[in-house]
Formats: sequence, C-alpha cells, structure tokens
Amino acid sequence: MTAPAPAEAPTAGASTGAAVLEARGLVREYGPVLAVDGIDLSLDAGEFLTVFGPNGAGKSSLLGMLAGAMRPTRGEVLVRGTPMSWSDGEWRSRVGIVSHRGFLYGRLTAAENLRFYGRLFGVDDLDHRVTEGLARVRLSERANFQARQLSHGMRQRLSLARALLHDPDVVLLDEPYTGLDPSAAGVLRGVLTELRDGRRTVVMVTHHLKEGLELATRVAIQVAGRFAWEGSTGGIDRGDFERHYHAVVEGGS
Amino acid sequence: MTNSGVRRGATALTLVGLVGMVALLWMSFFWVSTEVNQGIVQRIFYVHVPAAWTCFLAIGISALCSGVYLWLRDDRLDRAAMCAAEGGLVFATIVITTGPLWGKIAWGTYWTWEPRLTLTLLLWFIFVGYFMVRNATEDPEKGKRFAAVVAIVGALDIPFIHLSVIWFRSLHPQPVVAKPDGPTLPGDMLVTLLFGLLVFTVLFFGLFLFRYALEDVRLRAELRARRTA
Amino acid sequence: MIRYLDQIRAIVWKDLLLEIRSRERIAAMGAFAVLAGILFNFSIDTAIVRPQDVAAGLLWMTLVFGGLLGVGRTFHIEEQDNALLGILTSPVPKDAVFLAKVAANFVLLYAISLLVLGVFALFFRVSLDANVGWVILVLALGSLGFVALATLFAAMSAGTSMGETLLPILVFPLLVPMVVFGAGATGRLLGGRPFSEVDGNVRMLGAFAFAAVWIGAVLFRYVVED
Repeated sequence: MTAPAPAEAPTAGASTGAAVLEARGLVREYGPVLAVDGIDLSLDAGEFLTVFGPNGAGKSSLLGMLAGAMRPTRGEVLVRGTPMSWSDGEWRSRVGIVSHRGFLYGRLTAAENLRFYGRLFGVDDLDHRVTEGLARVRLSERANFQARQLSHGMRQRLSLARALLHDPDVVLLDEPYTGLDPSAAGVLRGVLTELRDGRRTVVMVTHHLKEGLELATRVAIQVAGRFAWEGSTGGIDRGDFERHYHAVVEGGS
Repeated sequence: MTNSGVRRGATALTLVGLVGMVALLWMSFFWVSTEVNQGIVQRIFYVHVPAAWTCFLAIGISALCSGVYLWLRDDRLDRAAMCAAEGGLVFATIVITTGPLWGKIAWGTYWTWEPRLTLTLLLWFIFVGYFMVRNATEDPEKGKRFAAVVAIVGALDIPFIHLSVIWFRSLHPQPVVAKPDGPTLPGDMLVTLLFGLLVFTVLFFGLFLFRYALEDVRLRAELRARRTA
Repeated sequence: MIRYLDQIRAIVWKDLLLEIRSRERIAAMGAFAVLAGILFNFSIDTAIVRPQDVAAGLLWMTLVFGGLLGVGRTFHIEEQDNALLGILTSPVPKDAVFLAKVAANFVLLYAISLLVLGVFALFFRVSLDANVGWVILVLALGSLGFVALATLFAAMSAGTSMGETLLPILVFPLLVPMVVFGAGATGRLLGGRPFSEVDGNVRMLGAFAFAAVWIGAVLFRYVVED
C-alpha cells in the first residue's frame, strides 16, 4: 500500500483559491474496495493533466468524481473555489466527457446523436454547431449514417464531437485511445492539440504512455487509488519516464 | 449514543417487553373474557393485532430513516432503517402465520382477503424486496440507496393499498362472522388489546436496538479484519 | 422552464425514434398481448364462465405483464454504449430524465393497451358500445401509474446483479391498488354500467398515477446516482 516515491509539489497552477478544478482529499470506496484513496489536485485554465496508471488503479473513479457523475465517499471537488454539489447542472454544462464507451445510440444517425446531446446541453445555433462538429472530426460525409454502421474509430471520433459540441472549458477523457485505429488516433490528437488554447483544462486518464505524454503539461501516476508520483512534463524524456513509470507501478503494487 | 449505551437500552426494553409478553399471554388466556361469537380462538387476536401494528410501525420507521439517510448519507440512519425493516419482516411473518390459524377456526378457511391480512402480506413482500435489492448490488452503497427507495415508496403506497383492499372486499361477499373493531370492544378486551400494543411496541424497540448494536459490532469487526488483512 | 421542457422533449423524441427504428419493445409487447389473449381464450371453460365476465381482469393482467416486458427494457437501450452516463453527465435534471422516460414509456404502453382492448373486444366479444370513452380514460390513468412505478424500479433492477428478475418482485406488491381500482372500473364499464358507479375508482386511479409520477421524479436521482 505504501508508495515509495514522494509526490513532487505540483508545478504550475498551485492553489490560488480560484483554480478551475480542485479536488481535496477525494476518497471513493465500493464497499470494501478502495478505488480512490485521498487525492488532492488543483488545475488551472490551460493545464493538461494526464493520469497514468495500471488497470484498477481507480483512474476512472477519479474522473467520474471530477465530472460530478460520481459522489465521493469523502472529500470534495471545488469548481472555481465553490464546492460542487452532486446535482450541479451548471457545472455539467461546462464539462465535456470522452470515454472509451461512446455514449452514442446505434440507431440514431451521427447528426441525430449530436443534435440529441446538443439539446440536452442547451446548445445555441445547434444546426451550425452540429455541422461544424462533424467537420471537425472529419465525419461530414457520414452525417446521415446510423452510428451502428460506423466503424469503431469513426464512432470514437463522433463521440469526441459529441463531447465538444457545447464548447466545454473542462474536458475529461477516460482512456480515449483504447481500440483506436491510427487515423482515428490522428484525429483525436489533432483535436486535443486544438484544446490546448490556454482557456481550457484537460484531464486525461490512460495507460498509453506515448500518447499521454505528448500533450500533457502535467503528469501523475496513480497506483492503488493514490498519486504515487506527480510532476510536470517539462524536460521529461519518454524513455526515462517509461522506466520510471514501471518502477513506480511495480513498487506501488 | 455509544454501542454499550444502545445495548443497555436494548436490554432494558427487551426485558420489560418480555415480562410484558408473559403478562399479555396470561391476560389473554386467563383474564380476558371470551368473545361470544368466535369463542376461544379469538384470543389470538391479542397477539395478531399488535404484531400487525408493529409491522406498520416498522415500515414507518424504516421509510423515515431511509428518507433522512438519502438526505444526510449517515450510515447509522441506513442501519436503523435496515434493522427496522428486519423487525418488520419478523413481525409480518407472525401476522401472516397467526392470521390463517385464526381464520381457519373463526371463518372456516385458512385464507380470506381480509384487508388487514392482505395488507400485511403485501407489506411482507415489500420487506422481502427491500432485502433482495439490498443484497443484489456489487457496491453496497448502491444497495443502501436502492433499499431506501423501496422503503419510502412502500410506505407511501400503503395508504393506497389499504384503501384498495378495503374497497375490493366491500364488493365481494365474505365468509365473515364477525370482524372485531377496536373501539367497540368490551372493556376488558380493549384493555388487553391496548396492553398488547404497548408490549409489542416496547419489545419491537428492544429488539430493534439489539439488532442495531449487533450490526454496529459486526461492521467494526469487519473493518478490523479488513485492516489486518 | 422552457429549457427543462426542451430537454424532456429531446429524450422523449430520442426514445420514440429509437423505438420506431428498432420496433423491439413495441413488437415484443404487441405480440405478447395478442398471444396472451389467445392463451386466455383456451384457458377459459366457456361452459362455466362467460369470457366477457373475466375479460377486464385478464386485460389488466396482460397490461401488467406485457408492460413489465417493455418497460423493463427501457434502460437497456441506454446501456449499450453507456449512453445513460452521457445523459446523467449532461446538465439535464434527474427528474426531467425520469419524466421523459415515463412519457416515452407511457406512449408505448398506452398504444399497447388500446391494442389489447381491441383484441379482447374481438376475441371475447366484449361490447365497447356503452363506455368506450371512459374505458380509454381508465386505461390511460392505469398505464401512467404503472409506467411511473415500473420505470423507477426498472432503473433500479438494471443496477443490480439480478437484473429484470427483480422487477416483478419489487413492483407487483405496489401495483395492487392500480389493479384493484383499474380492473374494477374497467369491468363495470365494459359490463355497461354507468360511469357514476366507478367514479370513485377512477379518482383513486388518478391519484395513484400522479402520486407515482411525483414520487418517482423525486426519488429517481437516488436510483441512478453513482
């Protein structure tokens, strides 16, 4: 249970009281199982945090709590300094979630899926946004195809358009690279690069080291529900990080 | 309240309840006069009715604790709701077993759709559902929430069920000879019945507190076992 | 408020569109209803009972079982791609999600209940001349109450390891008032009695339906919470 590597102090965006997204002592239990065991986090606009970790490290639970989809057993999530309530609709309208499950309906067309979510989020000028969103993930030609007729990669791209339709300023990604073909991964990388425009906050959890490091400004390694290591990506060499990652994961489990 | 405090309260209430139960049995067998129409069997009434009352008390407590639990998320409230439901299940079982015994002799049939009996049977199923959902989830927290919803909906549905089973019965001819009504009972029967209600209520709370203390101990032991593992 | 209604409309539109395209539930419920009518026909000894006399009771049983078949699957369409999480992480209030699900399921079940009425009229020679308007009202209130309770508990059983097998155990005891008042009223109305005779029943049925919708809307958030 003990994590040998001491957690480094977060570099950028140390708590100023107005962090976009802040977690204090987050704990999530499933009965006897401890998924998240005391995570503190503070993220400002423009930051891109990637959380690495093996399966079962509690990464998805962490993301679920940040999204307001999951109630923490203990601790709290603060949005610009105010605690988020579990039924906070205002917060949800500013968050976009990409998961390896697409949240799509197989029998709705690509455009209909986007329209549906657009209405739930109360997006203005919806027709325009839908066209724009489809173009962004290069699915304009497939607008009237039902989602079940699309390949897995296309569905993932559609799901990305769905998550960004309402122009969220916080984007949460849960293993977005899982099962992607190279072209879909390329689109995803392109869109994620666009998201680094300085006004958004991105949190991605993944176990794909290369893709995860590429765009991140900060990195954390989560093992057994805790951040066993945390640091900035400035000057990190991928090979070094890979060795470090394996050392931390094996030491921590 | 500390666990030992709860246990002291539980012991006191249960002892009073048990002594009361002996007195109640003595009263209903030897003291109270025999009801003219139904004869000796009517004496089961002094156990049957208080047990039924206790069930409704139990679902009431369970629903109330469940509602506050959903609001405050204090595990003690969930435990209280669960213990009340368990007590309710036990007393409902008493009602639906003593009911037919009485019915067989008084009405010549084991089962009639007598409203109180019907209602208790349905309540018994609501309690069963309560425990089934509770144990059918991987995440125990989810089970607690689900069970709380079952208790609340169940309690709110009871007035509707009550009205409907009374209405249903009013439509159909019944093999009833006499249906005892509380306030019109002769004095000694009323006293025995009221005493029975009191005894069952005290006993229910005694057992309820014991169950609560037990659950408390069990959870602590579990926690300790988990820490050492 | 306008936004709230638009969110509800969006979910109802989505559910009905999916149903129109897949026809899974409507086909299952419709086939069940007709087949149940056929089986009931052969289960009645017409030398002893007149089918018309028991038709109302059988009609409500068909609705309850058939309805459970369809409403029980209401969260399956959401689970395929984890879409329910997509809805729950959107700004839509949980009670709006519930009301939308109830509305969509109501449309389905009400359509089926009218089909059942027609089928029973045909199979059991039930006369619809006298009170067909009132019967349709009674079926509407009954469907609404049923759908409200069944939707709440379908969401619950979808979250358990027992799945749909749990649904009848949870719902049937709670449905007794609906069956008593609904079948009672339907029986009398089909038997040609005046509406004034079942006036109280229909009021109770309405009260039950609205109480069920209200309590479901309040409690739904605790069922879908993670």
